Amino acid sequence: MAANPTIEPGLDLSWLNLYDEPATATPGKKGLTLKEINAGRYSDAARGGGDMTYRMRGAVARPGAHRFGPNYMSKSDVWSENCIMLYEEATQRQWASARDIPWDTLQPLPDEIERAMCQLCTMLTEVEFIAGDVPGQWLPFISAQDFEAGLFLMSQIMDEARHTDVFRKRALVNGGGLLAQGAGLGLRTLLEARDFTEMSVLMHVQAEGFVQSMFRMGELIGQTEADKRIFRMSAQDESRHLAFGVMHLKYVLDTDPDRAEEIHHYLDKAEGDASGGGSGDVTFPPVFESLCILLGGGVEKFDEGVQKFLLLRKRQINEYAHRLDVAGLNRRNRFGPLMAQFVDPV
Amino acid sequence: MSTSEALAAAQAARDAAANIEIPQEARDRARELAWEDGLIELALQQGHSLAEVWQALRGNIDGATAKQFLAGGGSIARPDFWWMKVPTEWGIKARASDPEMGLTIGDLNIGTYGDIPDVWYNRSEIARGSFPTPTVEDMGYTIYDKALIWADCCVPLYEVAIRDRWVSSTDLRWNSLEPLPDDIEKAVCQLMTEQSERAYYQGALLSGWLPEISYGYLELKLFLSTVIYDVARHAEAFRKRALSNGGGLGLQAPTDYNRVLQECRTFPELLATMFVQDSMLLTLFKNGDKIAQNQLERDMYALCARDRQRIMDYQIERMKHFLWKLPDRRDEQNLYFGKAEARMVKEWGDSVVWEPLAILLGGGKDRMDSGKAKLQGLRKQQVQDYVANLEKATFFRSNLNARFKDLIGG
Ligand SMILES: [Fe+2]
Ligand SMILES: [Fe+2]
Repeated sequence: MAANPTIEPGLDLSWLNLYDEPATATPGKKGLTLKEINAGRYSDAARGGGDMTYRMRGAVARPGAHRFGPNYMSKSDVWSENCIMLYEEATQRQWASARDIPWDTLQPLPDEIERAMCQLCTMLTEVEFIAGDVPGQWLPFISAQDFEAGLFLMSQIMDEARHTDVFRKRALVNGGGLLAQGAGLGLRTLLEARDFTEMSVLMHVQAEGFVQSMFRMGELIGQTEADKRIFRMSAQDESRHLAFGVMHLKYVLDTDPDRAEEIHHYLDKAEGDASGGGSGDVTFPPVFESLCILLGGGVEKFDEGVQKFLLLRKRQINEYAHRLDVAGLNRRNRFGPLMAQFVDPV
Repeated sequence: MSTSEALAAAQAARDAAANIEIPQEARDRARELAWEDGLIELALQQGHSLAEVWQALRGNIDGATAKQFLAGGGSIARPDFWWMKVPTEWGIKARASDPEMGLTIGDLNIGTYGDIPDVWYNRSEIARGSFPTPTVEDMGYTIYDKALIWADCCVPLYEVAIRDRWVSSTDLRWNSLEPLPDDIEKAVCQLMTEQSERAYYQGALLSGWLPEISYGYLELKLFLSTVIYDVARHAEAFRKRALSNGGGLGLQAPTDYNRVLQECRTFPELLATMFVQDSMLLTLFKNGDKIAQNQLERDMYALCARDRQRIMDYQIERMKHFLWKLPDRRDEQNLYFGKAEARMVKEWGDSVVWEPLAILLGGGKDRMDSGKAKLQGLRKQQVQDYVANLEKATFFRSNLNARFKDLIGG
């Protein structure tokens, strides 16, 4: 047998001596989740300092390991106490737009209704596209010491791909097509964030919060069983993205309360875009008008739709205010007038 | 409503309006649209909400129109539904071509919606096929050429990835794990430590490239999202295996190969460089039965191999398409393959990489000779498959790494 050129002669085997604390995680009610293995020296609580080498938390550092460029050295910059649970929930609740939406049941709709739904889907498929880019942009900055936050964002990328595809499918399945681009939605502000927490507050809490409040009104917006189901399934995913953001903000404020004013500053700017900005900006005329047609039930009932739209705005803003309360950021007296007018007294 | 009630209501509306602070940007916008001073206040006094006023301003309602509407007591947020008339292709009824798969993204590629352009020009996040807004900000994408990234197979592979998804927490039978001899358990754990890091790194790296790819190649981006989610789950499954049977995490993975991925300046360079590991890992997991110590590991490796086969299918077709479209860039690829192979050879020679595999293949540290021989066989298979995968991509490696050449005896 020729000498094996990729196996060094002699044995080392010193790596067999690295194991001091036997890890014996056993499955819980939901199987063997990241929660069960989050124990002892491998747990997030045992996280040491930062690490730029992609060494997974708890692995023994390799002498001479390369650094891979700067990332966040402190856990509070990226962590959310629910990311472990949210990641596992994401794996359990994946769905397939190809088969889980009853496409066959769609029937031709009145032209104006179909156009309104297609316009809304054109906007949403555009928004969801950015919703994948934004967490993608931040993954290289998350230390592998906090890998569960990273895994969660990777599951979000998958969720947003599915949302991008399901709204495109809806626009192209029932005799319609895509309509007007939703430019002006303020999506670029999400990519412009220069800090993870800034991004998370703008995207997860504000923009996805607004989108979520809209999806939760999907029973009123959707005109068919398939449409309602699209909103229901998407809302299920958005609730995870939102929960990550709210709990990340809470973690930041709990561990680094001095950042509160800085975070207010980001939101002052974003809310200064009058309507709330971000991807939940439903005041862009094609979006506003299509929503009013859908909510009202036709062009004829546009005024009724406007009233329901105002309810939606009210709901969006109040839920947003409530989420910020939960995270520990009191902004109720800082909202600009366009938002403040909708906020109910606590 | 009685007259006095109506007057009281009107007064209440005026009082409320007087208390609303009108944002400066609304005033600025109103000025741009030639709204008379006081028109916003009038609208508020008439009971319109600030949101409705803003709606009108965003809807480009000019001052004269707004005044006319207010005079008539109508809504100022007068819709004109211009978006209903944009000249996009209308009347599309996509249907599932394969009822088993359901309605796929491939089924949507009909009419103009199926035009995947050689070069994509729109610099915004516009959904391919929708009607563009004339003036938009540049979103900062850098990849606008189909030849660099595209493979037709990414369209069906996206839906296959979703169909074949699995969940490590419940699809693997963790309760079935039995204690293993100490050296074997530690070898499993060391391999898992290395592979978990490799998978996590690959996911983070690919994620960082997503914002570079423009909307013209939507389906590719969707497919890459499944790849990112796949390797996330691999990272997680491997970690679970390391921490569930009396072992733990060992020494972190070598960083030479991953660093060369990190150093790539362009996405096509990254894909070429990654081709080497994507192929090697696919062969490794396809041979998972040889290194698995129990059914759980056999299942886990088989599932990983199924996921990794999709990545490889994309890699091969992408490279083939790239070389066909850009033949001038053929020789350049040798440089990336050469660099990647050299780093891989270095890592294969690392005792913390090869010894665990030899223990697992041989069946213990006291059977290292047999393990080493089997590992040599596995390495040979990996290199043969790699060369074959390159050939499928119409690439014939002119200067394959010398150690790889030795392994396959040629
Ligand atoms: Fe989404
Ligand atoms: Fe989301």
